[in-house]
Amino acid sequence: MISLQHATKLYGTVIGVNDLTVELDPGAHGLLGPNGAGKTTLLGLVTGQLRPTMGRVTIFGEEPFGNPRVLARIGYCPAADLLERRASPREWVTYLVRLSGRAFHAASRAAATAIERVGLGAVADRPLATLSKGMRQRTKLAGAIAHDPDLLVLDEPFIGLDPVARHDLVTLVRGWATSRSLLVASHLLHEIEALDAGLAVILGGRLVASGGVEEIHALVDCLPAEIRLEADRPRRLAEIACASGLADGLRFEGAAGLTIGTHDPQALTAALAAAAAVEGIAITSLIAGDRSLEGIFDRLVQLHRGIGSGGGLRPAAPAGVAAEAGR
Amino acid sequence: MNAGHGILAVASFQLRRLLTPQRVILAALGAAFPAAVMLAVRRIAGHLDRDFAVVLLYALLPEALCLLGLLVTMCPVVADELERNTWQHVAVRPWGRWSLLLGTFLAAVSWTATVALFALGLTLVAAGLPGSGRLAAVFAALILVSCIGRAALFALPAVIMPKRAIVASVAVALVVEYLAGFLPAVVNQLTVSLRLRSLLVRWMGWERALPTELALLVDTQPAWVQIMAVVALATVMLVAAGVILARRQFPPAEGS
Repeated sequence: MISLQHATKLYGTVIGVNDLTVELDPGAHGLLGPNGAGKTTLLGLVTGQLRPTMGRVTIFGEEPFGNPRVLARIGYCPAADLLERRASPREWVTYLVRLSGRAFHAASRAAATAIERVGLGAVADRPLATLSKGMRQRTKLAGAIAHDPDLLVLDEPFIGLDPVARHDLVTLVRGWATSRSLLVASHLLHEIEALDAGLAVILGGRLVASGGVEEIHALVDCLPAEIRLEADRPRRLAEIACASGLADGLRFEGAAGLTIGTHDPQALTAALAAAAAVEGIAITSLIAGDRSLEGIFDRLVQLHRGIGSGGGLRPAAPAGVAAEAGR
Repeated sequence: MNAGHGILAVASFQLRRLLTPQRVILAALGAAFPAAVMLAVRRIAGHLDRDFAVVLLYALLPEALCLLGLLVTMCPVVADELERNTWQHVAVRPWGRWSLLLGTFLAAVSWTATVALFALGLTLVAAGLPGSGRLAAVFAALILVSCIGRAALFALPAVIMPKRAIVASVAVALVVEYLAGFLPAVVNQLTVSLRLRSLLVRWMGWERALPTELALLVDTQPAWVQIMAVVALATVMLVAAGVILARRQFPPAEGS
């Protein structure tokens, strides 16, 4: 369905997408990456707003740029907030459906259905300027689905939504993905996880890993974490950590500092706390290691570049993850 | 799938965008300005010469007012979409870019021509000239031809340099319409201003009375040739602008 073959997009000397090759079958797919990773550029290529500087992009077997046949089958919800203020959601969505080539009455009906579907029926005729950001976000989503596309492309669709609205939209989008295809870009793993979508992780314009959510989780679980602590007897704590079998590496910092690399930070923290209580060791500071998404991305980049070790540790990529590591 | 629906959708949507109280007040002031000038001239001169009044009417309406109106309605065709974050919504629609261009062209011509026709009515009343009915018909046609030709002309800078569209359009108007258009050379055949002047001279029956040096600045071919020339120019410029817009790429705006 979506095929990128060595696709590269340059903005002058700035790289948006870098030699990206990926094949996505019909179904739900998530595109995960931090801000500035190249997700929006990739979606721009997929939705025919941009043409690759090098390589090839095909959607439904055809190049999307300037191709009305392909564009008619794509619904796109951009990340940027809608600054069209005077129009109401009904007018805006009707306008977009008419732009897809439908007559006014057919477009009005399709818009009304989409607006009800995203739960905006009560405010359908209020100016967009008077709506919350979450409601404008739903308006954008209604505009993307109203013409009944085969592929729905969403860029950070849950920005600005309260938890209830987020849940409603996740349910809606997940329902959509049961019968048609979906590509969602987000910098939040749990958002894509909630959609039961396959994952492609992008960073610096490159695909660094792809696979199922469980496979990415397994990869994350293998990542090393560091625990930094300060105590009055750091050498004793180091002995306890080594004895527990949970420590993968140690580094002393000054008289009181100790950094321990581990594959199971929770268990190690519990073990150290228990031992400190029994032996009367005063721990004055304990900072858990970085297992945040940024940390995960950093690690994936290291894997991608063939740098096996991060923080003195070397987790292996789990089997099954179609990691692009080392390519 | 019908591209015509998209063009009409854009035209009606753009007209709705123009119908804000501020824009309507500005348009009303613009429409009143030529009448105010005419009244002032009439009061200062005491008696208004008909030919002078016609030339003044020509300078104020199909030239000044139409140009100004089109500058604010046609030039922001792409810039407005980029500013409102609506470009991405339009660009991913089949024929969305062409619909945006042609729909905005329709809206710009409709809006500007309506304002100019309203101004024409006010100005003719202010001038108090005999035979105003015929003058109204002549100037209504000139206004329409001016709007069509100039809106297409401004479409090009609007798609080539959207963020500097108004500045570029003013430069194009000065260089193409008021420099090349007044050169007694083949190049002036490609300007709307030559066609408008020629139509004015022909419809006012001034061909024989025109001094030799001014006769060089008009084309003596029939009115239908002048109109077809403007239609052809407008078509070429719109197609060129459409092809450019269809190939333009703007880096997508990131989410906030």
